[in-house]
Amino acid sequence: MLALLGTAALVLVAGAPWVSPAAAGGKNLTSPQNVEVCIIDDAFTLKWDRSDESVSNVTFSADYQTPKMRNWEKLPGCQYITGTMCNFSSVKLNVFEKIKLRVRAEKGNETSPWHEVGSFVPYRKAQIGPPEARLKAEDKAIIVDISPPGTKDSLMWATDRSAFTYRLVIWENSASVDERTETVYPGGKIYKLSPETTYCLKVKAELRLQRRVGSYSPVYCINTTVENKLPPPENIEVDAKNQSYVLKWDYTYENVTFQAQWLYAYFKKILGNHSDKWKQIPGCRNVKTTQCVFPQKVFPEGTYLLRVQASNGNKTSFWSEEKALDTEIKTAILPPVISMKSISNSLQIYIGAPKDTENKSVSQAYVLTYEIIFWKNTSNAERKILQKKGDFVIPDLHPLTVYCVKARALVEGERWNKSSVFSDTVCEKTKPGNTSIAWLISGVCTVVFFIPAVIYVVKHLLGYIKYVFFPSCKPPPSIDQYFSEQSLKNLLLSTSEEQTERCFIIENTDALVTVEETNQVGEDHKKYSSQTSRDSGNYSNEDENSGGKTSEELVQQEIL
Amino acid sequence: VIRKYFWPICLVGLFLTSVLSQSCDLLYVHLNRVTWQNLKLLSHMSNPFPVECLKEKKAFELPQEILSHTQPVKRHIEEAFYEISSQVFNIFSQHACKSAWDEKHLKQIQIGLHQQVEYLERCLEEEEKERDRETLLNNLKLRRYFNRLGNFLKDKKYSQCAWEIVLVEIRRCV
Repeated sequence: MLALLGTAALVLVAGAPWVSPAAAGGKNLTSPQNVEVCIIDDAFTLKWDRSDESVSNVTFSADYQTPKMRNWEKLPGCQYITGTMCNFSSVKLNVFEKIKLRVRAEKGNETSPWHEVGSFVPYRKAQIGPPEARLKAEDKAIIVDISPPGTKDSLMWATDRSAFTYRLVIWENSASVDERTETVYPGGKIYKLSPETTYCLKVKAELRLQRRVGSYSPVYCINTTVENKLPPPENIEVDAKNQSYVLKWDYTYENVTFQAQWLYAYFKKILGNHSDKWKQIPGCRNVKTTQCVFPQKVFPEGTYLLRVQASNGNKTSFWSEEKALDTEIKTAILPPVISMKSISNSLQIYIGAPKDTENKSVSQAYVLTYEIIFWKNTSNAERKILQKKGDFVIPDLHPLTVYCVKARALVEGERWNKSSVFSDTVCEKTKPGNTSIAWLISGVCTVVFFIPAVIYVVKHLLGYIKYVFFPSCKPPPSIDQYFSEQSLKNLLLSTSEEQTERCFIIENTDALVTVEETNQVGEDHKKYSSQTSRDSGNYSNEDENSGGKTSEELVQQEIL
Repeated sequence: VIRKYFWPICLVGLFLTSVLSQSCDLLYVHLNRVTWQNLKLLSHMSNPFPVECLKEKKAFELPQEILSHTQPVKRHIEEAFYEISSQVFNIFSQHACKSAWDEKHLKQIQIGLHQQVEYLERCLEEEEKERDRETLLNNLKLRRYFNRLGNFLKDKKYSQCAWEIVLVEIRRCV
């Protein structure tokens, strides 16, 4: 019986490995290993490793599934692959949606178990590929026309095409040590090059806000041209004056005329060739001076790019560097408005935006830093502080001093580095702070008001104490009348000197009573004093004891 | 139906700008103005909505939760706003846009949006912070949404109706 069971168990155990391969679909096929998805721009690649090198004639197939699909579906481009990678870019996937993949090995009718790749979002996994660049050379500059990674109809970067920024590395072909790295925008130019030199460069794209960097493009080389007789104008500046803009530039040669053009700045963000979209600035054509003035109305609100070119009859120079004009910022930075309040020994300063002639608050486009200069009215020593906030406190000043403050606004940006003129000077006197001076004043007040009061109180207290402890037992004046005799008077008055008296009771032998105690327990004292009072009644020493008695009684009262 | 959404979105817009103000000080003043101008421009661009296009209306499912976060991490909203502005600019800079709209309006919108994007970029670059998971998730949701809009336009071959519908949708989120 047991043997039977044992054999049955053995059979079952032996049978199990037969069963599972049948379910898995093959005796020896194992699923592929190290399955990876590699996405560069719009190229989707699935890679894996064979798990078993010895087995031949194995093919691989893959399936995919998106949340919208109910079942796994065959992945086009990845069916019965003999190699170890496949390209499934033909599938028009939604790159922002999650997708799952699985791969298995096949041989004839047998298949390995599926190896599943966890769900991922293609957009997140994608790597930024190399951009493409087309170069055009000038004498001292190269125009780099960069196309973003991926194709024009790229699905992956459809939402990012204008967000790419490009980092470019350029070097002279002969001396590859001198490398320069710059950030360029499509259609941008690299300046400060030497004429008739071969330059090589490579570009990579970045999505800065997503902290994603792409790979470098292949190296492109180009020769700069012979130096042009007429150099382009330099140091272009735009300033706002009254109701017009003044465009200024520098130029070394004489007897040339200039012309200036403008372009909407947003074109730089839109890909494509915009060289035909530059327009002439009115009043800036064939000007002989190195500046031209045009009304502000020419540029309604917005950001514009300006460029200038010199010409000399039949020869023209290359275009100058483009200067951006943001109408918001160029309507001069007006000086701020200061208002102050003094709080103890510090000043609270409010810096407000200036108001223009129409009393509207003028807004500034960029973050302003305020430079505040303050000094004591009497001295010339100025102190300078920089603040970004418009509401702050200058602490630790000398109290009761007049301080004067003036401020100006500074703007620092890549393109602008301007400051306004100084605001009007505002002066304010600081209040006395909680320093020693405050104590001094309060001390003086104390002296003035409280000491007489204290004296008054002390005086009364002394009088009271005197009354209690040192009573001036003057007999009433009427007694004087009756006791004119000096001896009697002496008797009466002499008792006032006596403070304490020792009384000895002759009759009563119970206890010896002394009257001069002051520190005895009240109860005892009561007993004694009652005795004494009784006893003193027996005495005829009334006169002698009267003072003592009064003092006794008083003491008694006191203690009780 | 469309008007019903206008006021809540306006309020969200106001909220957005007030949140942004804390980070970029005076930049906000300008950004606020530019954003409102853009909004006005957008509403002027197509008024009234052509009735025949109503039947082609589609629900694009704007991810409103991004804009109305209960725990508004300032940076998330800034970034969401930047993405939205950027994408809207993208939509309006497509070539096929030219045929649909009055050129003057289109230019103004493009200028305005470009400025909005530039200022936001400047603001965001000033605060160099790490992007956390939440931002990336929001980013993805926004992209999916704009992808839907873009695909809709492509499928309808950039017809006038398609543009009108997309315009209405954009008004909702700008």
